[in-house]
Amino acid sequence: MKPFEYISTKSINEATQVLSEYKQDARVLAGGTDVLIELRRPHAKIPKAILDISYIESLNGISESDGLIILKPLSTHTQILKSDLVRKYAQLLGIAASQIGAPQIRNRGTVGGNVMNAATCADTVPPLIALDAEITLRSNGGSRTMKLVDFFIKPYKTKAESDDVLIEITFPKLPSNAQSAFIKLGRRNALSISRLSVAAILMQDKKGLISEARIVPGAALPTWMRVKEAEEMLIGEKPSLKLFTAAGQKVSEVMISYTGRRWSTEYKEPVIGVLVRRALEGCVKD
Amino acid sequence: MSTQNQHKIIGKSECRVDAWGKVTGRAKFAEDYNVGHQLWGKVLRAKHPHAKILKIDTSKAEKVAGVEAVLTAKDIPGSKVFGIVVSNQAILAEDKVRYLGDGVALIAAKTEEIADEALSLIEVEYEPLLVVTDPEEAMNPETIKIHGDDNTFVHHKVRKGDVDKGFAEANFILEKKFKTQFVEHSYIEPEAVLAEPAEQGGVRVTGSVQNLFSTRRSTAAALNLPLNKVQIIQATLGGSFGGKDEAMTSMCIRAALLCLKTCKPVKMVNTREESMLESYKRHPYTLYYKWGVKNDGTITAMEIRIIADGGAYASMSPFVTWRSVVQATGPYYCDNVKTDIYAVYTNNNYTGAMRGFGSPQVNFAIESMMDILAEKVGKDPLEIRLQNGFERGAITATGQNLEHNVSLKEVLQKATAEINFQEKWKKYRSEPNTQKKRGIGLACSYRGVSLGAEGTDAVGTIISVQTDGSVIVSSGITDMGQGAQTQMSQIAAEVLGISMDRIQFLNTNTSRVPDSGPTVASRGTIMGGSAAKKAAEIVQATLLTTASEMTGLDVQSLELKDNYLIDIESGQRLASFNELAAECFKKGRPTYGFGWHKSPKTSWDEDHGQGEAYFTWVYGANIAEVEVDTETGKVDVLNFVSCHDVGKAINRGAVLGQIYGGVAMGLGYGLLEEFEIENGIPKQLNFDEYSLPTSMDVPKIKAIVVENEDALGPFGAKSIGEPANELAAPAIINAIYNATGKRIYELPANLERVLLGHKLVRPKERGSVLKEKDIQAAMHRAVYELLPDGTFYAEIPGLQGVYANAKSLEECREQLQEVLEKEVA
Repeated sequence: MKPFEYISTKSINEATQVLSEYKQDARVLAGGTDVLIELRRPHAKIPKAILDISYIESLNGISESDGLIILKPLSTHTQILKSDLVRKYAQLLGIAASQIGAPQIRNRGTVGGNVMNAATCADTVPPLIALDAEITLRSNGGSRTMKLVDFFIKPYKTKAESDDVLIEITFPKLPSNAQSAFIKLGRRNALSISRLSVAAILMQDKKGLISEARIVPGAALPTWMRVKEAEEMLIGEKPSLKLFTAAGQKVSEVMISYTGRRWSTEYKEPVIGVLVRRALEGCVKD
Repeated sequence: MSTQNQHKIIGKSECRVDAWGKVTGRAKFAEDYNVGHQLWGKVLRAKHPHAKILKIDTSKAEKVAGVEAVLTAKDIPGSKVFGIVVSNQAILAEDKVRYLGDGVALIAAKTEEIADEALSLIEVEYEPLLVVTDPEEAMNPETIKIHGDDNTFVHHKVRKGDVDKGFAEANFILEKKFKTQFVEHSYIEPEAVLAEPAEQGGVRVTGSVQNLFSTRRSTAAALNLPLNKVQIIQATLGGSFGGKDEAMTSMCIRAALLCLKTCKPVKMVNTREESMLESYKRHPYTLYYKWGVKNDGTITAMEIRIIADGGAYASMSPFVTWRSVVQATGPYYCDNVKTDIYAVYTNNNYTGAMRGFGSPQVNFAIESMMDILAEKVGKDPLEIRLQNGFERGAITATGQNLEHNVSLKEVLQKATAEINFQEKWKKYRSEPNTQKKRGIGLACSYRGVSLGAEGTDAVGTIISVQTDGSVIVSSGITDMGQGAQTQMSQIAAEVLGISMDRIQFLNTNTSRVPDSGPTVASRGTIMGGSAAKKAAEIVQATLLTTASEMTGLDVQSLELKDNYLIDIESGQRLASFNELAAECFKKGRPTYGFGWHKSPKTSWDEDHGQGEAYFTWVYGANIAEVEVDTETGKVDVLNFVSCHDVGKAINRGAVLGQIYGGVAMGLGYGLLEEFEIENGIPKQLNFDEYSLPTSMDVPKIKAIVVENEDALGPFGAKSIGEPANELAAPAIINAIYNATGKRIYELPANLERVLLGHKLVRPKERGSVLKEKDIQAAMHRAVYELLPDGTFYAEIPGLQGVYANAKSLEECREQLQEVLEKEVA
């Protein structure tokens, strides 16, 4: 491996300073579960500098304020899955975090890294989009906030500039009439990369009719999005197997409309529908 | 009647002799060896899976500061190829490369970084040749040849009775095709060696080597040195599973070449990617099984044709396929058998020894066939096996009379009783279709112990009692984690009447113990253990003779027990073992024993495929209980029973460990693992993509150890290493059928195969001629990008949904074109 500079900082300002100086030549290190593997790959592109932000204390922690959950980017998957706030107000996020990698990876890997790396199989992203999360990026030029769903361009490509640091992820607490689910399909039961996944949230009114629905598939579309066509089918309806099956089929159709028919479609077409149905069923369990 | 109670150490779960070193981090693996002035050795590997080498220009690499040697095939002083059976494996490719793992040039440099840089400066000119990846295509006389004038390099056969007559007697015929995959050994420690110039000329190589003597032979031949000038020393091995044979031989030779060229120590360590790219795999087999069967379930004929993908080199294919041909019918009566097995060259990774050695493939076919047969004749899997299974006195397909305790039915009955097999099997098959369905499956096997008629089968073990009563043991058998050193130590301790803590086992060194053949074929305990017993008995005789003189008592009235010399009648301790050892020294008596054990005779007639293939056999039965997600194809194994007759468990804990590990490995074979090679290019080079089972995938395993002591093994012991691994996959496949009614004919039973019945394959057909132009035009607009994870991403601006993401640029381009073609269509 070629030598590189290692810069560690405890302040956000210093971090943005370093990034504005190095631009594309620096790589940000948080938990290291992606960066270290990339660096060790044969013929890897070695950056001039690695900026270790893992000691910036203000970038860590999960808290609540004014109906919002504030998820700092250095929060590890383990912190998320153990968080009472997440369990209470964003259950699907905790489920997703608990299924990432293995304990060692969950202890190191961070939600911010998952978002910024933007791999198609990033498991915390579909739940965060379903939760209507916003992110705040900061650079030397100041801060900007945007919807997470608008942040991604394509796999491994986001709207972050090379001097941006992710400083916050926020989302509204799910109300008490909401239930959520996350289903991941991998080839094995741990250390598994999502073959497909689905994040879903349903809210029901007092009559038991669905008042709001959010469905975000993972590892299925070119980039993450809520499948509005399927969500709309659910509004005002009573939950039923038939309804959820139809919603699943709709998601499957939408997926194919974006990806075209590929060699893997024969498998993904029926299975994404099944996972959507199961996720929705998971949202009406008591 | 058992002698169990007389044993002090045999049968106990004694602490492994290597345990402390490993758990405290003191064990020295090959990579841990470093010496002053050592250089780093690196290999330049092929750019094409099949190509002529036109020119190699190393001049730029030689000029790099810190580079001390650059070698190509022409610099090898002795034999440029090696191979135990067929000597054709290139140490460095000379005229052509035959697979992507072939080495083309070597570099020794002051640091790994310098070596890497120099590698990139070696210029090789190739003329690409047609790449052959399908073994059946390789057999076609028209196909380009990889070696010599025939790609088929092995044909073994078995002929018994008359299959035409057998099929004529049958009520119906069962005919099925099965396929298995390439499998990586997945030893946790990649290949590593340190080669040092030896004081008296020659070379000393310390490495992660499984079969030290064959490695020495090949290294000496390449270096033009006599065997006594080449010393191969076994470092503590981080796993092998049959994998550290030729892969290590080639690394040892390369490091030794660089070492002798530079007169400096040379270290070589493969990265995981290099290891997976270059190392050999378990053979993929294509198996055609045709059985003639009567309505009552009797098998009248078996006609079997098997093609094994040997890959680029012969390696162990002749032996692996020989075991397959001997065992291809399973432990079932059948008077008329015709089996043919072929091994063929392709431009895939070469294939060789891996735990099971030709049995996991045939067992998958045999045990699937058995269940298909049961279903046809309306019997359950246990009934059909009990009906057709071997008993003592059975004559095998190769004409061998099984005169030992044939415990097939015993293991079947014990395993099925443990989990209530028949009841569950009946219940699950009649349950209605639901999202999650349970199933249970059975598989059994017989397996020839040790090398059999493959070759000379003899082992030496040395025991040396020191003057203070401590003991040193060494053997030609290698411990690669399976516990061979512990078994041999227990046997020595039992015979000498001492505790295990007195024994120090030395890692194998080819210059200090006699050539004992390879540590393969589950022969460590039965062969190495027998030699250890003989060596210990020699020392015991000396000790007791001396004791008799010392005490004036008759030898017959004395015994060695619990570290003391005992008067058998009174039970009185007469002297400590230490005092006795010192007395021998004083009297000038050697307390050194060399035990040599040669296996009983076996025989083989290659023309007729008949003979006493193995001197004894083991029997095992596995049961898997699974839950199948019928909507996604995901299979979870919930429970597992593994029952094996081991003859005698020398170390019970070690036997259980082998069974648990064997099941886990077999589960990976059945459900997850597949080393995919497309057009000669491996697709998975690390464990992020090559899926091994994790502890979350391995169920609770109930191990049942059956002990029918065998007269031909030490204290009755036979073997367990490979039997433990060869049955899990068919048990799981049969369980999936029990759950879903759908049979899997190709391994592994991954998500796609279980749900769709076949693997997803990229279509080969291209777009129609008319649209060809549009597609080409669009492809010209494609934008490619190297993503940070090392994969390639491509898209065509303006065409939504047309994108691709793949490991190589070429693959990415192909994928993009396919998506585009579908889009256009």
